[in-house]
Amino acid sequence: MSSSDDDSASSGANSGPVLGSKPIEDGFSQLRVNDLANGSVNDDAAEGSGDREGVAVEVDEVEDGGSASARVGGTEIEEIGEARGMWRSNSEGEVEAQASPSSSGYAGERGSSSGGSGIGEEEDEIEEVRSDAGSDSQAAWMPGKRHVDEDDASISWRKRKKHFFILSHSGKPIYSRYGDEHKLAGFSATLQAIISFVENGGDRVKLVRAGKHQVVFLVKGPIYLVCISCTEEPYESLRGQLELIYGQMIVILTKSVNRCFEKNPKFDMTPLLGGTDVVFSSLIHSFSWNPATFLHAYTCLPLAYATRQAAGAVLQDIADSGVLFAILMCKHKVVSLVGAQKASLHPDDMLLLSNFVMSSESFRTSENFSPICLPRYNPMAFLYAYVHYLDVETYLMLLTTSSDAFYHLKDCRTRIETVLLKSNVLSEVQRSMLDGGMRVEDLPIDPLPRSGSLLPRLGQRRPFTDSQESLKEAYAGIGGPAGLWHFIYRSIYLDQYVASEFAPPFNTLRQQKRLYRAYQKMYASMHDKGVGPHKTQFRRDEHYVLLCWVTQDFELYAAFDPLADKGSAIKTCNRVCQWVKDVENEIFLLGASPFSW
Amino acid sequence: MGLSSVASNSEGMQLCIFDLRRGQNEGQELDKILFFYPADLPFSTQLSVIGLSEGLITFTRIFSPEAACEVIEAERHSHVFFEAEPDIWMVMIVEKNKEAEAVWRVGALRNVLKEVHSLFLMFHGSIRSLLEKEPAAGLIRSQLYIFIMDYLSAFEKRSPLDYCCWDFLSSKKLQLPSFRDSLKERGTVQMLTVGREAAIEVQSLVRVVESCTGSPSCHSLLLFQDLLVSTTLSPDDAINLFTYAVLRLTPRALSTGSSSWSYLLKGSTASAAVTGPAVGSPTSLSEPFHGSHGTSAGDDQSHAMRPLQHDRWSRGNDGFLVTDIWQAEPGSLVSVTPSIWLQQTEEKMYLCAYQHKSLTLIVLIPVSSVINGEQGIFAVKQLVLENASLKMLKVEEKLSKGWGGENAYHVSGYRYLLVDGDRNLSRASPPGKVTTLTKDSLLALSKLREEVDIEKSRARWDDDDHEKELEICTRARNNAWVITRVTRGKELYMVLENANETLLYASDAVQKFSNRYCNGAFSLD
Repeated sequence: MSSSDDDSASSGANSGPVLGSKPIEDGFSQLRVNDLANGSVNDDAAEGSGDREGVAVEVDEVEDGGSASARVGGTEIEEIGEARGMWRSNSEGEVEAQASPSSSGYAGERGSSSGGSGIGEEEDEIEEVRSDAGSDSQAAWMPGKRHVDEDDASISWRKRKKHFFILSHSGKPIYSRYGDEHKLAGFSATLQAIISFVENGGDRVKLVRAGKHQVVFLVKGPIYLVCISCTEEPYESLRGQLELIYGQMIVILTKSVNRCFEKNPKFDMTPLLGGTDVVFSSLIHSFSWNPATFLHAYTCLPLAYATRQAAGAVLQDIADSGVLFAILMCKHKVVSLVGAQKASLHPDDMLLLSNFVMSSESFRTSENFSPICLPRYNPMAFLYAYVHYLDVETYLMLLTTSSDAFYHLKDCRTRIETVLLKSNVLSEVQRSMLDGGMRVEDLPIDPLPRSGSLLPRLGQRRPFTDSQESLKEAYAGIGGPAGLWHFIYRSIYLDQYVASEFAPPFNTLRQQKRLYRAYQKMYASMHDKGVGPHKTQFRRDEHYVLLCWVTQDFELYAAFDPLADKGSAIKTCNRVCQWVKDVENEIFLLGASPFSW
Repeated sequence: MGLSSVASNSEGMQLCIFDLRRGQNEGQELDKILFFYPADLPFSTQLSVIGLSEGLITFTRIFSPEAACEVIEAERHSHVFFEAEPDIWMVMIVEKNKEAEAVWRVGALRNVLKEVHSLFLMFHGSIRSLLEKEPAAGLIRSQLYIFIMDYLSAFEKRSPLDYCCWDFLSSKKLQLPSFRDSLKERGTVQMLTVGREAAIEVQSLVRVVESCTGSPSCHSLLLFQDLLVSTTLSPDDAINLFTYAVLRLTPRALSTGSSSWSYLLKGSTASAAVTGPAVGSPTSLSEPFHGSHGTSAGDDQSHAMRPLQHDRWSRGNDGFLVTDIWQAEPGSLVSVTPSIWLQQTEEKMYLCAYQHKSLTLIVLIPVSSVINGEQGIFAVKQLVLENASLKMLKVEEKLSKGWGGENAYHVSGYRYLLVDGDRNLSRASPPGKVTTLTKDSLLALSKLREEVDIEKSRARWDDDDHEKELEICTRARNNAWVITRVTRGKELYMVLENANETLLYASDAVQKFSNRYCNGAFSLD
C-alpha cells in the first residue's frame, strides 16, 4: 500500500472527470466499472490467519493485573462463543476475559431497550404511523431490539414495514428484527418450508411480490435470510441489505459457524449471537440513511490535506510493525486508513466493522481487544481488533492476525494518540464534524482556480460573515443553484463517495430517507445485472428531478427541485464534478486507497 | 391441429387454473385443479405446483391481506399469478433463459392470463357460475381445456411448411410475449385514425346498421384491417371483442386462418382479398330452425364450443361471416348464430359479422330482443344487406384511400409505444420497424417497463388520488436512449437508437413527438 505522503498519488489515483464545458453525456464511449467483487476477498493476504478460524483465543497470563485465560475449547460452539468473549482493559491495563458464551459483554442486551417503544419509533415501523412527529429527528432512533412482545399473530407485527429474519436451514429462528425469536419458531419454519419447497423443485426462490410487499430470500449455506418489506426499495437493494446482514453475522462469528450445522443440522445459533441485537438493529437502521450500504464505498471526513497526511503517517508507522489494518474513524467517516502491504480492505467490511464497533456500547467505555472477522477479506478466519475511542466520536481500530498482540497494539495506540494530539489532528477532526462537508449552496458559480479548497470557505461560514453569507441567504430554502438540492459523488478508483450535507428542503429524517431511497432505486436501475450499467439517467417524479451519470471514473447522483430545468441541471452537475475535483484533496483519502497495492 | 402438438411440448411453460374453495380435505387436493398445461404432467407434479402457489397465497396474505401473491421470482423460473375470479387463480410458470431469449416482463405475461380469462368469460360466462351449476366440474374442465388450448395455439410458432414466413424453427414452441414485445401492449385496442369526412360516413353507417336491428341495446364494432374504427361497446367489452376479431374474424385472420392475435404481431402483407381456406366445411347460413334459445339451451350447446379454434370462420357469399362453431345441440350438425356474453351488462348477444374487403362490421343484438331466433337474425341480416351494404362500400373505399399501409404509424427515427390507459388504446411503431432495434435496447426497455409497472402498481395501492407522474430517460450501455413518460393516465415508451447525442437532444425529440403526435400530452411546457 502506498504511503499517504506520496504526492503523486493525490493527483494520479483519480485521473478525474474531463468536464469543463462539455455536456454531461460526452466523452465516455467506453465504460469500465471497477468490479467490487474482484480482489475483495484476498486469500493470499490472509494466509497465516486462516488456521485460527473458530479456535478459541488462547492467551497466557498477561501482566500481573490482568489475567486472561480463555482455554482451547472442546466443541465448536464453545469455541466460537468464547471467541466472542471480549477482552477489555481499563486504563490501568487490566484485562479480563469473558469466557461465557452467553455473556457477550454488550451493553445493548435485549432487555435494556425493549421498553422504549414510545420515543424510539423509527419511521419504518408501522405503515400507519407515518406522521409520527418523533420520527423526524435523527436522535430519535434508539438502538436495540424493540417490540419483543410481538409475534406473527400480532396485528402490529404484521404491519411493520420492514422485517428481517435470519434462520437456519432446519427452520430454527436465529434473528428477527421485531418480535421474540422463540415465539416466531412457527413462522420461521414456514419460511424454511417455502425455501426448501422451491429448492426441491430444482430451483431457488429469490423474490415473492404481493401488492406493496416484497419477500426477498437469500440462502447462504445453512443460513437463510429473509426480508419482508413494503417500502418501495427495489429487490436488488433489499437483497444487498440481506447480504450485509449476513456479512455482519460473519463479522461476529466467521463462516466456520457452518461447521456447527454440518455436525448438527438442528444446531441452535441464537446463544452465539446473544446480545448482538443492537449490532443488527443499528445496521438495519443504517439501511435508511447511510449511502455506503448500497454504494459499496466509504466516505471520509473532510480535512485539510496536511492534517490527513499527518494522521496517515503515524498510522503507516505502526502498520509497518505487524498491524494488518490501522483505521482512524469519526462516526462512520474515515479520517485515515492504512493497510499492511498487499492487504486490502473492502468498503463493505469497513461498514460492517464500524457498525459493529459503534453499536456496541462496551467499546466506548474502555479499550477493547476483540476477535472479529472481515467477510470480504477472509470469511473463515478471525482477526483481532484493538479498538479505542480517542474522544466521544473518534475511534482507532488496529487489526491484527495475532491473538496475543494486545499489549503491542496498546502501545501503538499510545504512540498514535500522542502524535494525533500533538499535531492537532483530533481537534481538527472535531472541528470538521461541527462544520460539516460540502453544501450545495456553496457550489461555486464560476470554475475555481485549480487550487480550490473547501475548508477556507468552511471557515467563512462560521459566525463572522461576509459576502458569501448573503449569497447563502439568497439560496436559503431552495438549495443550491439551478434547484440543486443534494448530490452524491462516488469515485470508482478510490472506492469512496462524498455526499453533500442535507439542506432545506431536507429538514427531516423522513425527507432524507425518501431521498436516500430514491438514490438507491436509481442506483439499482443504473446497475441492473442484465442490461446495466447504463450511462446516464434523468428521472423526474413528483418529488425530485434526479440525475445520474456513470463513467469509468466516477458516478454522480444529484437531486434537484422537481421543476428544475434540464439544461441548467446538467450544467450544474458538471460544476459539481468540477468542484469535487477541485477539493478532492480534502474530501477524499488519496494515495491510500484500500485497493491500491 | 393445435391441440396435440401443443400438449406434447412440456418444457418451457406451465399454466394452471385452480379453485381454492375446492378440495379442502386431505386427499382431495386434485379436485382444486381445473386446468393444467401440460396435461401430461404427473399429478404429483401438478399438485406440488398448486401446493406452492396456494401456500404463498396464504403466506403473503399475512402481510398483505388486500393483495396476495402476484409473482414468485426464482433463479430459473417466474411464477406469474392472477386471481381471475375470487379464489379462482391462474398461475403461469415460465423458464428464464437469456440465451434462449426467454426474458420476460411479468406484466406482459399477466396480461396473457387476463386476456384468456376475459375471452372465456365472453363465450362461456364466469368460471364460478359454471362451477355452481356443475359442482362435479367435469364439463367446465373440458371447456377450459379446449378453450385454453385453442388460445395457446395462437402463440405457437408455425412450421415453415404451414406458411412461408419468417419462422424457421419447425418445432412447435410457444411464443409468449418476451422482451422483444416491449413496444406492444396486450389488452388494448389499436385505432385507425380517420379524417373528419370519413368519420361522418362511419357514423352514418353505424346508425343505419344499428337501426336495422330494431333493438336499442344493440352494439356495433367496426374494424378496418386489424384496426378499430368505431364501437359503441363499453371499454372492457370492446377490448374482448376486438381481440377476438383480430384473432379470428378480420380478413387477415381469415386468410391466414391462424395466429395473428394482433396486427402488431408481425407486419406481414395483409391483402384485402379474402380467400377463405375453406377448411372444415362451414355450413351455409343455417336456415331458421326451431328457435331453441330458451333458458338453458345456451349452456347445453357450449361444452363442445370452440370459438378460438382455427379455420372455423369463413366469409359467406352474402358478405356475412359464417361458422359452424355454435351448434343447436351438442353434437348436432346444425349451426346457429354465434352468441357472446357482455361483461358490462351480463347480457347475451347474438354476434353477426359482415365483411367487405378490409372492413369488418360486427353487430351485437340482444338475444332477448330477437323473438323468433334464427329467423329473426336472418331478417336483420337481410335488412343490413339492403340498407347498409352500399354505405359499407363507400366507407371501405374512403378508409382505404386514406390508409397509409402497414407503416402508416411509423415515425422515422422513433420506436415507440403510446398507451392511453383511460381509454385502453395503444399505438406503436410497426413491428417490422421494431425488429431493427438491437437486443440490448429491447432488453433495457423491457427492464424499464418492469420498473414502471412496479411504480404504477404501488401508486395503485397507495390510493393516492393523484395519478403517477414519471419521466425516465436512460442512456443505455449501447448509447441508445430508452425513455418513458407517464402522465395523466397516459404512457409513452420510446427507444432512440441513433440519437447519439445529449440528454437535451433526447428530451427535445420526445417533446417534438409529443407535440406532433400526442397533442402535447407529454410536453412539459
